[in-house]
Amino acid sequence: RCRHVTRLVLEAEERPLSATERLGVWLHMLICKTCPNFARQVRFMRIAMARWRSGAGPE
Amino acid sequence: MNDFAAQVQALRPPLLRFARNQLRNDAWAEDAVSETLLAALEKPQSFGGQSQLKTWLVGILKHKVIDQLRRHAREATILSRDDEADLDDQLFVDNGHWREAPKDWGDPEHQLRQQQFFDVLELCVTQLPPTQGRVFMMREWLELDTAEVCQELAITSSNLWVLMHRARLRLRECLQDRWFDATERPR
Repeated sequence: RCRHVTRLVLEAEERPLSATERLGVWLHMLICKTCPNFARQVRFMRIAMARWRSGAGPE
Repeated sequence: MNDFAAQVQALRPPLLRFARNQLRNDAWAEDAVSETLLAALEKPQSFGGQSQLKTWLVGILKHKVIDQLRRHAREATILSRDDEADLDDQLFVDNGHWREAPKDWGDPEHQLRQQQFFDVLELCVTQLPPTQGRVFMMREWLELDTAEVCQELAITSSNLWVLMHRARLRLRECLQDRWFDATERPR
């Protein structure tokens, strides 16, 4: 379900997922119209935090 | 006051904001920044001028922030009611599907060129519940790995993952509301 995939997408930011977990996410993304956007949002936040950390942001 | 001391002192406000974002406690943040400025003023020769003064001071501050977290580890991990709230029920219906589908945030390169985005990002980070905020900043700003955060705060990796999961969902909701939806609205 989307709820479970969301959890795995966020956990992947913290630890390597197992092959079974990655396959489950991959297969879900093939048939789901909404979760790929969530995965892109998580990637967006990762890039934004890296920019912020490297000095972008309010003075 | 010599030039170097004046330049160091002038950077106190941004350092204090960084420390408050990380520590969620004004007194701890004041101490961390004071220790940073003292370290800089006592050993100015350590600043080789190869980086910007602010970058050098932030590097010192990160160590002082970790010192504060060590000192106050027990208090730093007390969970507020907000820390314990689970957003999942608000985001998903009973059958596990999204209540409201995630939107397309577009190209990060375009959005991240806008200075105002980082004002909103900082605001959203400061609005995280206290323990989530500390843990999130330890991972994302201090760049400590899971084992280091768990050791410093004496929490399990499962606890850390739950806190990070909740923090990222909250940050996402806040960015959606305060940046993406706000920039779509007619002004």
